Amino acid sequence: MIHFSWFLDGSIIGCYLLGTMIAGIMVRKYVGKVEHFLVAGREMNIYLGIASLAATEFGIVTCMYTAQNGYKYGFAGVTPGILMALSMFFVGITGFCIKPLRDSGVITIPELLEKRFGPRIRWAAGVVIVLGGLLNMGVFLRVGGEFLVLVSGLNVKYLEITMTVLLIAVAVYTILGGMLSVLITDFLQFIVMSLGLVVVTILILARVGWSNLVSTVELHYGAGGFNPFVNKDMGWEYVLFFAFLNLAAVLTWQTTIARVLSAKDTKTGQMVYTRTAFFFVCRFLIPGIWGIAALAMLKPDSMTLLSAAMKEQSSLYGMPVFLSTFVPIGLMGLLVAAMLAADMSTDSSYMLTWGGVIYNDIMAPFRKNKWSERRGLLWNRMIVACIGLFLLVFGLWYKLEGDLWTYIGVTGTIYLSSISVLLIACCYWKKANSWGAAGAIIIGAVVPILFLVFEKVPVTKGFAKTIGPYYSGILTYLLTAVAMIVGSLIKPQHIKADVK
Amino acid sequence: MITEHWFWFCLTAVCVIWYSTVTVYVAFNGIVDIKHMLEELKKSL
Repeated sequence: MIHFSWFLDGSIIGCYLLGTMIAGIMVRKYVGKVEHFLVAGREMNIYLGIASLAATEFGIVTCMYTAQNGYKYGFAGVTPGILMALSMFFVGITGFCIKPLRDSGVITIPELLEKRFGPRIRWAAGVVIVLGGLLNMGVFLRVGGEFLVLVSGLNVKYLEITMTVLLIAVAVYTILGGMLSVLITDFLQFIVMSLGLVVVTILILARVGWSNLVSTVELHYGAGGFNPFVNKDMGWEYVLFFAFLNLAAVLTWQTTIARVLSAKDTKTGQMVYTRTAFFFVCRFLIPGIWGIAALAMLKPDSMTLLSAAMKEQSSLYGMPVFLSTFVPIGLMGLLVAAMLAADMSTDSSYMLTWGGVIYNDIMAPFRKNKWSERRGLLWNRMIVACIGLFLLVFGLWYKLEGDLWTYIGVTGTIYLSSISVLLIACCYWKKANSWGAAGAIIIGAVVPILFLVFEKVPVTKGFAKTIGPYYSGILTYLLTAVAMIVGSLIKPQHIKADVK
Repeated sequence: MITEHWFWFCLTAVCVIWYSTVTVYVAFNGIVDIKHMLEELKKSL
């Protein structure tokens, strides 16, 4: 039986939603300039930055896939979280790339790239960032809705309408208050989300027990459940691929880097990184434990309520099915509120930051004459509204065909590989030029797409399987760097400006 | 079980303790940050 009381749990969720909406809308009066809307006037301090970064980078989709990692790989599934924490700590402590980026006073990464590579590369980088980011985000709503349906026992026919109402609520405060509303609501959402995550985890550790979790992992995966290097589905190539991916994400993922750019100064931006770094271990370990608990506690008949398509991915849907009967009434309201908080903070930030790139970089050629603040704000608000509409149509009402993970992996790698190489070269290699940058953008897109095509074509299917997604991913990062070096050396150009 | 997989046991314990502490700490200090941010933005309007 599902433990969800509409009176008790519904009241908790209603109070949370009402509080968030009021806080988000109230701060709209402080938005008078485009800079206020996109980077909160660069007045964000450390603790607000920590809350906002943590809340943004943890959505329901994150919880689902990290729990799936726990279900499929045991404790070894936490490896990407550890790698991300190490990357973020390294970047925060050294200021690698983020120091010159924040010192330059830009609003987005492509704006910095223009100083070294020219306006065309700024525009192309903007397009790659927006395409990669929005297509990646396109699947968030449906997965989030599925979690809520499974946990609360909501009739599946209300999934679309529930998520539509939620997205409209998020869009309203994001359109009105921009980054200010995002920061304030992120703060509230961080508290609710953290409370839910910690309480449910303690309950699992107390009731399922540490010994039960460990013996389940030993039974299913042996030593590979604790060590990624000896896991038959992981190995060194998995670790190396995620090391590249996480470093690139820390340096260039738009929602993450927006916190550095909104910080009141460079030192604050770096401190937000160093102090949030360990959160990324929790981001994988906490839902990972939920996934392992699902593996330990679920019986074969537990999945009978799932649809046929969901049954095929029992590792993904095991965690919400387990929680629906494990978490007691009252606490269930807190869990659902926590997950709604996680999803809303992610959606608002994604809509705003990718909208910022559209306005600041893709529309830059159309803003040759300086626009008034009023006009700029109007355009930014319209862009956020359009992104909301895109998410609604693409992410919720449009049924995505094919493998979800391949889709997320390809869109993510296209963006992260090229933009991270461009950013590193822009900041630290004086010989880097627009030829190298163009080569890196092309190679960064071609290699992952080729791998996808090879996977689908019968003649090359075997070859693609031999290479595998991790070697292909590693190759993409290496070849993108080679393209930057070769392209820059083929045609040396006059250096336009020192970005530092 | 604990001594055999001490790394994962310690990491789990640290995660729960660190996350609980940080949540409380950030909840209090974040309010101060928000107040200060809104004051500064009010001046710039």
